[in-house]
Amino acid sequence: MGWPFWAAPFIFIPMVMVFPLLALFLTANSSPQHPPQKRFDEIAKQAEVARIADRVDEAIVLYSEGLRLRPSWSDGWWLLGSLLYDQDRFPEAKEAFKRFVATTPKPGPAYAFLALCEYETREYDKSLQHFQAWGRKGSSGTGELIDVAGFHWALLLTQEGRFPEALYLLAAKAQKVGRSPALVEAMGLASLRMTNLPEDYPSEKRELVWLAGEAAFYSAVGQHDREEECAAKLLMHYSQEPNVHYFRGTLFGFQKERAEAAREYQEELKLSPQHVPAMVELALVQIDDFKPAEAAPLAGRAVALDPKNYRAHYALGRALFETDRFQESSDHLETAKQLAPGSAPIRFALAKAYKALGRSKEAERESSAFLSLRGKEEISAPPQGKNALPEQPGPPK
Amino acid sequence: MIVSSIIVLSLSSVLSQVQTAAAPHSGAPKRVETGSAASTASSFEQLSKNADKARTENRDEEAIPLYERGLHLQPRWKEGLWYLSTILYEKERYANARDLLRRFVSQDPDVGPGWALLGMSEFQTREYTRSLEHLRHAMALGMGGRKEMTQSVFYFVAVLLTRFEQYSDSTSMMLAMIKSGQQSDLLVEPLGLAALRMPLLPAEIPADRHELVRMAGKGALALEAQRQEEAQNLFSGMVAAYPNEPGVHFLYGAFLLDVRPEDGVAEMRRELQVSPFHVPARLRLAEEYVKEERPDEALPLVQEAIKLEPGHAPARMMLGEVLVAKGDLAGGIRELETAEKSAPQTVRIHWDLLRAYAASGRGKDATREKEEIERLNRPDAGH
Repeated sequence: MGWPFWAAPFIFIPMVMVFPLLALFLTANSSPQHPPQKRFDEIAKQAEVARIADRVDEAIVLYSEGLRLRPSWSDGWWLLGSLLYDQDRFPEAKEAFKRFVATTPKPGPAYAFLALCEYETREYDKSLQHFQAWGRKGSSGTGELIDVAGFHWALLLTQEGRFPEALYLLAAKAQKVGRSPALVEAMGLASLRMTNLPEDYPSEKRELVWLAGEAAFYSAVGQHDREEECAAKLLMHYSQEPNVHYFRGTLFGFQKERAEAAREYQEELKLSPQHVPAMVELALVQIDDFKPAEAAPLAGRAVALDPKNYRAHYALGRALFETDRFQESSDHLETAKQLAPGSAPIRFALAKAYKALGRSKEAERESSAFLSLRGKEEISAPPQGKNALPEQPGPPK
Repeated sequence: MIVSSIIVLSLSSVLSQVQTAAAPHSGAPKRVETGSAASTASSFEQLSKNADKARTENRDEEAIPLYERGLHLQPRWKEGLWYLSTILYEKERYANARDLLRRFVSQDPDVGPGWALLGMSEFQTREYTRSLEHLRHAMALGMGGRKEMTQSVFYFVAVLLTRFEQYSDSTSMMLAMIKSGQQSDLLVEPLGLAALRMPLLPAEIPADRHELVRMAGKGALALEAQRQEEAQNLFSGMVAAYPNEPGVHFLYGAFLLDVRPEDGVAEMRRELQVSPFHVPARLRLAEEYVKEERPDEALPLVQEAIKLEPGHAPARMMLGEVLVAKGDLAGGIRELETAEKSAPQTVRIHWDLLRAYAASGRGKDATREKEEIERLNRPDAGH
């Protein structure tokens, strides 16, 4: 019988590679007289030798065999998972990392690897959970792992609709490692509030996403002239697309160009009258422009449309405060605090509201909370991301 | 549409060859057969025979579960991995095909067609980074003389290079494909995208820019075929129809620099008005100024280009050329050496260095560069 087509030009190579493997299988299975401990030790040793010699396929077979003999071999699961991961064999690597996580007291970076495998096998909920577990345990791992895991975590946050958190991670990566086409694409999706992954958004949106990503990237690294150019190109072709004006408004907002930001939020609201984030950001601009009476109804509409939106309650609370409606202000700020307990600006605003209400003890408590939260991220992010906090008010006065 | 027809062609060719070859099962690891192991082996033998039979008789829907069961019994069964993945690819079940192919290439890492089909599957699942990496690996390994598969792989690599903003590499590759007989119609849009420096796949071209991209691609093809008049008409028509689109004036300007340099310079300047951060426009302008012995005008353009893209080898090369033109041999050599480190395969940098070393009396270094140029110009240099 002949070989199939792929082997024809390479027939000697596969044969040469197969023989040692066959020999290993035959050895492993034709020596029943070996006591299990001895067999395990031999296999573990052979696996290590194969791994170190970069005979990856052979090492995978040997680790699998060793783990069949001793399923509690924690290091074996880790090494097998790592080898499979390097081969892009994610379904198998995922199982190995799962076993490692289950058999070791401190899984550390294994959570990130498990999450990355689950991303590839499209188990996005589990992947997100494991990224969060990894973050809670301190985001340990090599610099490369932190970059890759942080990036994929951000993609999943975008898919979940948690755009500021996603951009927070991506902006940190932009500052740390610079520009790449993949990063630009990810930033574009999050900036346009598209709950998509790079693999699943409509092809016709590619240029839109790319241009928004370019603008977001240059904004993150502080090259505002290039940001401007990209944003202008974006508006040239896509001014009628949802979220484009909103995004442009946020870019102006970062540069404290409030009038331009307000104009863009208003443009967005013309296109999408129910656009809650545009309402909220416009209300916040109006508050900063000493127009709280205009901001309050807008923020109120945002709260009515999306009662779980902490930033809408925050905007409304601030607008009410500025119009001396302190009790109502504190009510909304308390709701905001419940929805986003890690947000420093909310605590700051709440401290002011309590103070105005004469609730000095509570005001002090919130001031302390503000001081301890300031500078911390609002999600459990990898450590390098701390410089990219999206909102930073001044200290309490 | 065009691309999928290429794939289908290449796969039909693959499968027709596969169908004429009976597959041995020597890739499957053997175990000592005792008791149930013997019956497993016998049921595996039967399954694999039935799977092959169903496949060769084009009963793919029956073949798929048979191969799956065979692979469940013998996960390292190479023929099973290959045949099942090719069937799944044809059925457009790309993610399933991809997972099997990853197992296949893990066992047989030196088989070019395995990497090629893996890369093409990943292209379909939109894992573009991996796809490009694996298709390039397939190119390096070779596809065993399979012309259609080779053409498909080259096509995918070229369009992915554009998407990853490697426009020069992409363009060079497509022009080489045309020279080697690839049908140029297939490459009109890919070439247009690369020429306009739009990081999109042909399927991602916005509806209102299709005509622009086609004009750019046709113009580039006309230029390549030295049909100057046709190129002139296409490029000038493109500029008239799309005066505010990025990349348009650059493309026309690059054409004009060779035929009417003054007009070319004007077009490049227009491009910089439309795209103030356009690095290649700066470099082409600087090149023209050096040619016209106006290095002082070239210098700020190159310095700006380097500021915009500090690691860009062509910018370093151009800076070296400008400094040499200004008489600063030591500074020029320093920049050219930096460029050489980043792009050792670029023959022009070696020529620049050869001349600069010779002018500085560094005969040995000049000889070394001469030898390097000869080496790079050999057909087997692999660049």
